[in-house]
Amino acid sequence: MTVPSIPLRLPGAADHARGEAGAHDWSWVWQAVSGIVVLGLVTVHMVAQHFVVPEGLRDFAAVVAWLSSPVVIVVELAFLVSVAWHGLLGLRAVLFDFGFSPRTERWITRTLVAIWIVTVGYGLWLTSVIAGWT
Amino acid sequence: MMNERRGVAGWFDPRGRRLGGLAFIVNRLSGLGVLVYLYLHLLILTQLARGPVAWDAFVAFAGSPVVLAFDVLLLAGLLVHGLNGVRLALLGFGVVTGRGTALFVALMTGAVLIAAVGALRLFEVA
Amino acid sequence: MATLVDRPPEAVPAPGAAPVTATRVVRVRRTPRDGGAARWDRVEVPVSSSRMTVLDALTWIRSRVDPTLDVRHSCFHASCGTCGLRVDGRDVLACVTRLDDLREGEVSVEPLRNQPVVSDLVVDLEALYEALEPMAVPLVRSSTLVAGGRPAEGVPALGRFEDCIECGLCISACPIEATDAAYEGPAVLGAAWRVIDEPRGTDPASALAIVDGDQGAWRCHLAFECSEACPSEAEPGEHILHLRRGLLRRRVAAILRRRGTHEGSGR
Repeated sequence: MTVPSIPLRLPGAADHARGEAGAHDWSWVWQAVSGIVVLGLVTVHMVAQHFVVPEGLRDFAAVVAWLSSPVVIVVELAFLVSVAWHGLLGLRAVLFDFGFSPRTERWITRTLVAIWIVTVGYGLWLTSVIAGWT
Repeated sequence: MMNERRGVAGWFDPRGRRLGGLAFIVNRLSGLGVLVYLYLHLLILTQLARGPVAWDAFVAFAGSPVVLAFDVLLLAGLLVHGLNGVRLALLGFGVVTGRGTALFVALMTGAVLIAAVGALRLFEVA
Repeated sequence: MATLVDRPPEAVPAPGAAPVTATRVVRVRRTPRDGGAARWDRVEVPVSSSRMTVLDALTWIRSRVDPTLDVRHSCFHASCGTCGLRVDGRDVLACVTRLDDLREGEVSVEPLRNQPVVSDLVVDLEALYEALEPMAVPLVRSSTLVAGGRPAEGVPALGRFEDCIECGLCISACPIEATDAAYEGPAVLGAAWRVIDEPRGTDPASALAIVDGDQGAWRCHLAFECSEACPSEAEPGEHILHLRRGLLRRRVAAILRRRGTHEGSGR
């Protein structure tokens, strides 16, 4: 038996111009992927920075000694990059649920990207000060 | 006609919500809470840039019971958000279907247990 | 008429006899048509049977107490999707919600949320019907399941039944709908999945393009309140996740194809 081919007519398609090809939203995928990365790195951070330290926090001398290892610096900076990304992307999703105009949404995205860059820059600066790069 | 859209109250009002809806509330609140904490944490770290005296004074202050209680809250928030996030990723990518409620109960039981162990350890150390 | 406690003769127990009929107090949210202030009416309703439903109570109030109460219903058996309400804070069809199954005490009855209230318990479902149209068009099609079957006299063609009864309960239950009218919402996205899951000779590409947009499947936050509320087990929440998997597969395939073309042209 042959299945009749029925042309699919979607009268509302034109109203959904914002959703046309090319404008696909990958943010949910990014959110999930960065979430998995953050889950791993936050575990490393909590264990290495707090749980294994007898008092839960290192004193200044111990922090300087700890940050002399390049592995520690790379892991901690990777944690900052991913956790700020995940957190700000999450905030973006919450803000987008208010149903602002596309213009406002673009503005929100730009602002959050700027905050992310500043956050990572701050982390680099702080590391350089403590590790005595300057 | 009256508009019945409730705004933000519609996200967070737990009345009449099932487990999935409560998980949504918990995830959103814990996520925003942990984000606020992240920036608070980064702000506190400026004490490191100010040198040993400033940082070691903060370390001494951080041992107070109030701060430790706050740490327990943070740990619980991280666990709830992180483990529920695993559930959402599994469901969202279609790895798991239709087992959302059971997964939530199992993961949250785990979160509470780990948070309890963490709390005991935090106060024991202090 | 505001607060009314009307005790019908059959609800009054005979002297010395145990009461044969219980009553329930029903609190009904009243929103005047003219846009006046909304209020709660409390009405004592006799419970004639353990099978008495919220819709039975509301029709009793209309016929015995206050004919101005606006409530919409049609089939009385969860097929038409017109009597959607909030009872004790849950989104339900009034016709299949028994008073006996509700918690003790007053029963609260409100209109559905996230949709404009026309008056009292009636909400305007026009936006849902309009949003469903681009998705639902291909759902009404000649079916291969009844090949050789002849439509009844007066029916132009055999249609296909889908689980969704277009009642709007999922929209009322969805937390995202509480703040954003632009979100396509569970009913529409669930319908889109049906087109994609069972294209039956149609090309689902344009439906996929719609639900892959900014207001589509990726706006869902997986609370699954829609599926919990659905009286028809259409499972819109699960369908949204099936959609996402389909969309993701399509996107990855498109990227791989593009890369393949690029490599091909490079050689």
